Amino acid sequence: MAGKSGRSINNVPESSVKRIIFSWEGILVLLFIAVNIFCAFFSEYYNLSSLLRQMPVYVAEVFLMIPMAYILILGEIDISVGSIVCLSSTMACIVCNTNAPFILVVLTALVVGTICGFINGFILTRFQELPPMIVTLATQIIFRGIAEIVLGSGGSISASNTEGFLLIGGKVGQIPYILFLVLILLIIFAVILGKGTFGRRVYAIGTNRLTAYYSGIHVQKIRLLIYTAMGTFSGLCALFLLSTSYGANTTTGNGYEMDAIAMAVFGGILSTGGKGNLAGGAISAFIIVCLRVGLGQRNIHPQVILLILGVLLIGAVALPNIIKQVQRSVKK
Amino acid sequence: MEKKSVLKKITGSREALLAVILILLFVIVTIISPSFLTPKSIMDMLKNNAVTMVMALGMLCVMLVGGIDISIMSTLALSGMSIGMLWKYEHISNTFLTFVIALAIGTVCGFLVGLVISRADVPPIIATMGFMYIYRAMGYLVSNNGEWASAAALGTFKDFATSSFLGINNVVWVIIICYVIFFFFMKWTRLGRKIYAVGSNADAAQVSGINVKNIKLMVYTVMGFLGGLGGALQVSVYASAMPDMQQGGEMDVIAACVIGGVSMSGGRGTVIGALLGSLILATIARALPLVPFFDQLWLNTIKGVIILVVVMVNVVLQRIADRNALKRREM
Amino acid sequence: MSEYVLELKGITKIFPGVKALNNVQFQLKPGEVHALMGENGAGKSTFIKVITGVHKAEEGEMFLNGQKVDFKGPKDAQAAGIAAVYQHPTSYPDLTVAENIFMGHEIVKNRMIQWKAMNAEANKLLKDLDADFDATAEMGTLSVAQQQMVEIAKAMSTNARIIILDEPTAALTRSESEKLYTLVDKLKADGVSIIFISHRFEDMYRLASRVTVFRDSQYIGTYDVDGITNADLIKAMVGREITELFPKPDVKPGKEMLRVENLSRMGYFKNVSFSVRAGEIIGLTGLVGAGRTEVVEAVCGITHPDSGKVYLENEEIHIKQPSDAMEKGIILLPEDRQKEGLIMSWGLGRNVTLPTISKYAKSGFNDEKTERDISKQLLEEVDTKAVDIFQPASSLSGGNQQKVVVAKALSQEMKVVIMDEPTKGVDVGAKSEIYAIMGDLAKKGYAIILISSEMPEILGMADRIIVMCNGRKTGELSREEATQERILELAMEKGTGKGAN
Repeated sequence: MAGKSGRSINNVPESSVKRIIFSWEGILVLLFIAVNIFCAFFSEYYNLSSLLRQMPVYVAEVFLMIPMAYILILGEIDISVGSIVCLSSTMACIVCNTNAPFILVVLTALVVGTICGFINGFILTRFQELPPMIVTLATQIIFRGIAEIVLGSGGSISASNTEGFLLIGGKVGQIPYILFLVLILLIIFAVILGKGTFGRRVYAIGTNRLTAYYSGIHVQKIRLLIYTAMGTFSGLCALFLLSTSYGANTTTGNGYEMDAIAMAVFGGILSTGGKGNLAGGAISAFIIVCLRVGLGQRNIHPQVILLILGVLLIGAVALPNIIKQVQRSVKK
Repeated sequence: MEKKSVLKKITGSREALLAVILILLFVIVTIISPSFLTPKSIMDMLKNNAVTMVMALGMLCVMLVGGIDISIMSTLALSGMSIGMLWKYEHISNTFLTFVIALAIGTVCGFLVGLVISRADVPPIIATMGFMYIYRAMGYLVSNNGEWASAAALGTFKDFATSSFLGINNVVWVIIICYVIFFFFMKWTRLGRKIYAVGSNADAAQVSGINVKNIKLMVYTVMGFLGGLGGALQVSVYASAMPDMQQGGEMDVIAACVIGGVSMSGGRGTVIGALLGSLILATIARALPLVPFFDQLWLNTIKGVIILVVVMVNVVLQRIADRNALKRREM
Repeated sequence: MSEYVLELKGITKIFPGVKALNNVQFQLKPGEVHALMGENGAGKSTFIKVITGVHKAEEGEMFLNGQKVDFKGPKDAQAAGIAAVYQHPTSYPDLTVAENIFMGHEIVKNRMIQWKAMNAEANKLLKDLDADFDATAEMGTLSVAQQQMVEIAKAMSTNARIIILDEPTAALTRSESEKLYTLVDKLKADGVSIIFISHRFEDMYRLASRVTVFRDSQYIGTYDVDGITNADLIKAMVGREITELFPKPDVKPGKEMLRVENLSRMGYFKNVSFSVRAGEIIGLTGLVGAGRTEVVEAVCGITHPDSGKVYLENEEIHIKQPSDAMEKGIILLPEDRQKEGLIMSWGLGRNVTLPTISKYAKSGFNDEKTERDISKQLLEEVDTKAVDIFQPASSLSGGNQQKVVVAKALSQEMKVVIMDEPTKGVDVGAKSEIYAIMGDLAKKGYAIILISSEMPEILGMADRIIVMCNGRKTGELSREEATQERILELAMEKGTGKGAN
């Protein structure tokens, strides 16, 4: 039945150079440079080696941003991750203090995180009517609650055997292991999201869940997988957090979910789903890391940094909307 | 016939079910610890939960239009810290003026949140997350980077929470007044019903001439107002102001609403529901230390499990109802 | 006083790129029921929206009781006594019936809503309509028919003198339709003028005294119902003899591909059996709500049947989700293109390859070059009117969107293609193109199930016709024995053993 009218449909894509320069990611790169210049002027101690030395504690949160980006692209949200970090670090510390081999500590952190994530995913896929916000709100309280029970009245635990944590907190030259790991994971997951069939399916679900389902995509399987991965990455975050703090308490990981979401949203990954990519998320994450290190060096209170974060977060979403509205009213 | 319909109304109504649960809780706790059911004990419980109870009303409105506000405890901290510092440095010494200032700060905070959500189309969770950071940080700045306003600094303001009127504590009066006003506002005024209409079907509301954007702006402003009130109450009840007060407390407020039957997707929920939800939470918190084996450490876990169970049971009940409706369908 | 309560002259409404209404006219007499008919896309809905003030016409005049009116918005029309009841009630599901009726004009005293008065007033209105529910019932718990009744009550509460009913019977069962007829009679007796939009001839004969036909955004004519035949009306609506619309190829059916035995799903359908052979097109028809879509959804794993068996090429298959069905070679092209068929913001190419990305992928990574080539080829094969494969699906017309949905199915090896209302909202020209594609698929040996409410389409395309009513299969007709009347008879039959009413 080939083309009765013989109409030909173009299938050659436009050159992407222009698209990249004028994209949100392009703006973020400029912003990243600007932030670094600002920090260098603002703090006399701000340079590459101080940045590398002080960044690990902030970089640990970037682990959370990676699966959070996937969840936001699905059009969902997970606000329990901070509590998962808390519970994983608590459990890892407990195992560590039994003088178990370090590999068991690593496994504990990852497995506890994975189980927590799986619980979220399991509830959300079995009770699809429930909004992720309310389920992860409840598990947020539960996971931290369990950590509180485990920690007891003291509310904190410190690792007696820090050898292993010192090991993973190590460096190659000046570059800490964690930076390598984050970058590798970022690249892998950015490529899966941007180029992989899995990524395409995630975007399809986030844009139109029903069409995705009718097109034979295993929507629930993918959701379960991503929420579980969110847990695993929280375990990873907990592990590297321990390598800087050697202990956990009831407030460990407090607000981390917000930081992870802020990084992703500021990176152009809209919480309404189907939009954005991990390149944007990665750049925005490192903008925030650099800003924290730079401002931290001059003893600017972390709260002020959060204030800046809040303004960035709202601005990143509000500005494009306002510009669109202004354009529309000018046209009229 | 008449009797049956009354019975059906009770079993069918969520509020009635919650009331039964609350009464059961009361009975159980009283059996374990008879001192629970004394006016003083009840009054203390209400006083300690005043902030959550009052702010649940605002959250009810916000959730009714399908939104969420997690910035409220930062609003509370900003307004509470502001009045705390004003007292500490002796700029004010009048309780009434203190309330006015706290309420004004809260209202402005809420208005800004509402503007960003209703006018710039920022999703509520993102917008309020941003403001959560911003207001909390502003609270810190107001506190000169972490100063406290302690009981000594608060002069006569802390007396507000310790004195009574007609034998009932002032703070409890505030709760009662708020609930009465909201009960009438939500049920008996057109503006109140418009909130329900917007949450139930925003498109239809728009067509029938309701300004959906203004309704949204209004509910977040109301939420902010109550955040300011919460700030004043918090400072007065606990006789101190510190910049990190009530951090994470927004979850309690949301939990109270969810337990009280307020739907996350909007359109469903009542003032009575919010009241019962927050009372149930408060009673559990009060009862827990009395129960052997469980101690205060278990509180959060149990709270979380209750929320989870409540929402899951809702889904299951809805599924059963749907199934029964299908069974009835003639074929 | 004018002869007409409502008169429109020379109405033209232009949407970007399309003339939705072209110089149409309409007259409504006091106390008459006037049917408005026409195919989908003929401009009926737009016309209604002009009357109710939702759209503003570029040209033309509107007279109410002989007075020229100019509505600025829906509120003006409401104030003038015009009310519309839509097919899908635009209600507030969480609020009570009384609130729905009085939304926007609540009974207030001292700024307080008077619930008692409102409920009493609402109950009075409902009693007038013979409603079987109370004003304090929650809207969301009512059936579609009951919700429609609430909408009518709402129209009456505003003292509307002109009520527009937009396909009110489309979602109703037979007995519910009967009830609606009585209701309309009652309104008529009260002197209310009614505009009635419907695709069912039965509705028109039963209710209307006059009928106005629109076609392709134009006014065709107004006829007295007493003096018109079905054939005249169809000709007026379609504009040509309908047989030429359906290029049905003569294909000798091959072996049996799909067989469904005693499929049941509680509350939706019961004991449905049928089979389809290679090269055969079977029509699955019945009124809306008869359970047609639900049956094929269960076959394709979108929902799960309670009992029954499905055989593909004589082998029993167990399908748990849509992907299983596709692997086996069964695909459903859903009715709602925007919500279920396509991702509207995505480019055409990505839409086409969505079900089959993994087929082209190399170790989990998309081969975008191959994808582009394949989607170009498939889109051209179904003759999509598009510039390039990157333009969003939302930029295409309904007919072309449907072609993209078909291309999606062609991207993989299929045996059975199920098309659910493939020509809904598609203009006449594109319709015959879609029928041509359907014919080509049959020639290629696909087994095709066509679900449709449009009688001519079923009669024109199907080799065999299966009719459903209220979740049951009520009959199977061969192409030769099928006539409009026989299908209608089977479609209206009320369950087995139970007579109508």
